[in-house]
Amino acid sequence: MVRTRLSSIKKGRAKLPRNLTAIRLLHKEEICELLDSSADFKARVIDGKAIPSLGKKVVGMLFFENSTRTRVSFEQAAHYLGLKTANFSAAGSSMSKGETLKDTILTLRYERLDALVMRHRASGSATLAARYFNGPVLNAGDGQHEHPTQALGDALTILERKGSLDGLTVSIVGDVEHSRVARSNAWLLSKMGAEVRFVGPRTLVPTPQHIGMLPGEVFHDLQSGIQGADVIICLRLQKERMQEGMLSSIGEYAKLYQINRDTLRYAKPDCVVMHPGPINRGVELDDAAADSERSAITAQIENGIFVRMAALNWVFGENDMGPRAVETPDKSAKKAVKAK
Amino acid sequence: MKTLLKNGRILDPSQELDFVGHLVMEMDQVVEMGPRVNMDECDEVYDCTGMWIAPGLVDPHVHLREPGQEDRETIISGTQAAAAGGYTTICCMPNTNPPLDTPSLIDFILDRAASPEAGGVFVAPVGALTKAMGGQEISELASLKKAGIVAASDEGYPVQNSLVMTRAMEMCVQLDLPIMAHCEDQNLSAGGAMNEGAVSAMLGLRGIPRTAEDIMVARNCLLALSTGCQIHIMRVSTWGAVEMVRQAKYLGAPVTCEISPLHFSFIDEMVGEFDTTFKTLPPLRTQVDLDIMLQSLSDGTIDCIASDHSPYASHEVEAPFEEAPFGAVGLETTVGVTLTYLTHKGILSPLETIRKLSTKPAQILRLEAGTLKPGETPVAQVTVIDPDHEWTFDRNKTFSKSKNTPYHGAKFKGKTMLTFSGNEIYRDAFFPQERYRLQD
Repeated sequence: MVRTRLSSIKKGRAKLPRNLTAIRLLHKEEICELLDSSADFKARVIDGKAIPSLGKKVVGMLFFENSTRTRVSFEQAAHYLGLKTANFSAAGSSMSKGETLKDTILTLRYERLDALVMRHRASGSATLAARYFNGPVLNAGDGQHEHPTQALGDALTILERKGSLDGLTVSIVGDVEHSRVARSNAWLLSKMGAEVRFVGPRTLVPTPQHIGMLPGEVFHDLQSGIQGADVIICLRLQKERMQEGMLSSIGEYAKLYQINRDTLRYAKPDCVVMHPGPINRGVELDDAAADSERSAITAQIENGIFVRMAALNWVFGENDMGPRAVETPDKSAKKAVKAK
Repeated sequence: MKTLLKNGRILDPSQELDFVGHLVMEMDQVVEMGPRVNMDECDEVYDCTGMWIAPGLVDPHVHLREPGQEDRETIISGTQAAAAGGYTTICCMPNTNPPLDTPSLIDFILDRAASPEAGGVFVAPVGALTKAMGGQEISELASLKKAGIVAASDEGYPVQNSLVMTRAMEMCVQLDLPIMAHCEDQNLSAGGAMNEGAVSAMLGLRGIPRTAEDIMVARNCLLALSTGCQIHIMRVSTWGAVEMVRQAKYLGAPVTCEISPLHFSFIDEMVGEFDTTFKTLPPLRTQVDLDIMLQSLSDGTIDCIASDHSPYASHEVEAPFEEAPFGAVGLETTVGVTLTYLTHKGILSPLETIRKLSTKPAQILRLEAGTLKPGETPVAQVTVIDPDHEWTFDRNKTFSKSKNTPYHGAKFKGKTMLTFSGNEIYRDAFFPQERYRLQD
């Protein structure tokens, strides 16, 4: 008796979970699918149309690092999709009692959570979580590696303003070396046909010899880096970079790399200014640039919700057009053979 | 008891011997060796046709983790793993808890290694160069040497202060004690998890620049030249470090160096999707470095091969990449990796392979090992290797307590079949039963 029950449970679990750990690992078609679905969700929410519920599923929200916007955005997305959320934070969790990350993930797996949204200070932690969770894992930022939903939200915002990503010149300005936002954006935009530039001081961008596996060109001079740019993505400057000796002062950084009315002249007249937040006003951006009609910062925040709806929907393997083909191990194996 | 190893390829770099013949052991010692020997009255016979008969292997760089880290390895499990790997002498590193910086701890290691449960392998302890490996005050090296250390090292906590290093070297010249130096400028490497390069930039991991190693190798070579202290550079990984050693040797500095199998078989791209079993110190470098490593092994600039056996418990390894420890177990894979990646690829001849795995490390650390000459080792130390045996390594079938290795599932050509230290201390399951005969 017990045996048959166990086997039926196993059958139900047989499908391979879909993870969103890194844009780097997605195909262009998958990115298109996610962006299309985001736009669709946005239209439905804004027009007040019905949104298909994902049913009685519980999403674990595991935030080991502080987060306001990403957490709230995922909560909102889950709420619109009729999902429940279970919240964990580093301070209140058993991690503060010395539990390893692997054990925490295994615990949540056997608490029967259906998906996990995780932010952690270590690069690659989402990959580790995906290895042990046996269900969809959505990376909400892992160290300096990736922040996929941020990049999706930024891409949706650019699409709305520019109509297409193909052929655009996008300059990512600031602390690229330590930025997961920069990495996810670079992968997404380049896969969609945009030209990516990394702009920043030598201490904060990978050296040209080391850029080989990241899709982008390195500039150390702001003027040439944003010359003719269609989009500028400013990155937040962390104060710790001064203590680590990577910069002399905030003032000097602002003089060299701040996006403001003067420096924006180098970019295209209709250039879109973006920032993942929270902004250090007067450092990487001045008020005029942050609040001008060129700024898309508030749109980025709002679109964050819709791309997270699309991401949650995507990892559960269904969309509003009806249930999508669930990838079973067999099918994906066949696919791989076909591709060969 | 008279033991005959019959019809093998005898390789003894200490006497430049390479011929097919037989070896006879009696009363714990090699008594005769040659194409024709007196085979009368042998009590046991091992047919070694197609196999190598070599001096017992010598590993200059092993972490036995005892005392203090017995969940990773013990002297007993570590020596058993060593015997299975073909080693008859291993040097154990001082980064235990507490570190090996007092004579009583050396006594403890030697006692435990001599116990009957241990693998029957000689353990040569390496003492801490500075107290508690703190890099500030020099250990009581004279007392430690008297207790039995064969070298001094601060292992993963290399002395950063060049003045302290100079004084330690002066002391070691006086005591005629080699220093084993892991070379890393820890200001440059701070927070790093893998080689600084394209892969680390892609994965968002902080890099360990090659200069962190190069600068320290250069410093130690220069100090060796000025003090005359014998320095053994542990596990080189960059082309710069090897070139520095080459230059130092040319200038007459008493410098030698070793490499771990990881650094002549893998490069940083193997880290893939944050695979922590590929996290090593120094980190896996690039193809350019790997090519120079192979060339320098071949031309002799790299003196020897060390397993750098670094056991860690599974829960330590199954962690985010930045938090996982550096290192891999290696005692039971080094022969397989070396033969597969070097010997069978024509980088090293069979004789040179054994020189790098046995004779040379013994000479560097002045150990009574690495030779088949009668009477030059405390007991006969012999390893029989089947160079053509093809096998797949399974980390779940090892003697080591730890399973942190990137070689799980790897296919090797070449395996240790028999290990003798006085008598047989290891016989591989793949050594054909019919090849062993016990005479009545």
